Amino acid sequence: MTRRLKLGGQLVALACVAGLLALLVWSVVHQQHAPGVGSVAPAFTLRRLEGPGTVSLASYRGKPVVLNFWASWCEPCKSEAAVLQRDWASYRNRGVVFLGVDYHDLSSDARRFVSAHALTFPMLQDGSGNVTSRYGISQVPETYVLNRQGRVVAHLRGPITDPGFAGQFRAAIAKAAAA
Amino acid sequence: MLRFLAVVAAALVLAGPAAACAHPHTSLGYLQGQVMCPTCHTTLDMSDSQAAQQIKGFIAQKIAACWSAKQIEDALVANYGQQILAAPSHKGFDLLAWWLPILGVLAGGLVLALGVWRWSRRREPDDPDEPDKPAGSGLDEETERRLDDVLARFE
Repeated sequence: MTRRLKLGGQLVALACVAGLLALLVWSVVHQQHAPGVGSVAPAFTLRRLEGPGTVSLASYRGKPVVLNFWASWCEPCKSEAAVLQRDWASYRNRGVVFLGVDYHDLSSDARRFVSAHALTFPMLQDGSGNVTSRYGISQVPETYVLNRQGRVVAHLRGPITDPGFAGQFRAAIAKAAAA
Repeated sequence: MLRFLAVVAAALVLAGPAAACAHPHTSLGYLQGQVMCPTCHTTLDMSDSQAAQQIKGFIAQKIAACWSAKQIEDALVANYGQQILAAPSHKGFDLLAWWLPILGVLAGGLVLALGVWRWSRRREPDDPDEPDKPAGSGLDEETERRLDDVLARFE
């Protein structure tokens, strides 16, 4: 009886350790990493920040896409907004799509931000941050440039207004449009 | 310093509307412990990030508008999703987070009780036929009598 009890206890302890190990392996395997240059950007469908409905990244396949992650509480996003709007105005006629993804933000504040900076490109909302985490975003603003096949051409960690980034940003758009 | 001044200014701005609600249903202090900062993954009271400050401002505003804690939490969940709350919900898979600690304590108690029971059994005498030793001093009768005699001489 005692031996059986001891064996049962050992089995339970072993099962607990195995369970914890499985959990650790699962979390390591499912860790989110930023998609690298050349890899396919993670697909998503997000609701529009302004107005009803959702927008899917797949619906822009065949066009170069600039994917900008931002938040209304982010200071550098304010200075970047004007530059993005200006670039959007100059690139939209060349078939380049700009998408803004507002993350971990209050909808009301985000709408005020869009209105205050007169941003006219489509804005999507990722309140939970699920999509943002799949893009490995650790701070905002960050910008991805995707080519017509939906592959990553560039990933800029920081505002595109940073010295050096502006040139990279435009070169990436040119490369994405050419591909 | 600038951040501190900004927080003080925000508090002063919010202090005005707060007076509009004579009997607030909840407090910022309470909700700061119930709501997570989405970017730093700690509760709001542990964070001073911009995202946390934004949510604190939102909560203060809603308290001033006489919203209840439940209303504020619901609004935050609608905006950020369930993970904005520090405590897991009481349904589905989240129930495990509530029940597992209780089951763990019960299992621990059971193991402890079993251990104590086994330990006490091991302490029992091996031979039940052995006569009981005298209670009290633990000395045999002869030694006790002689000890009494010696002590009597000193009285």
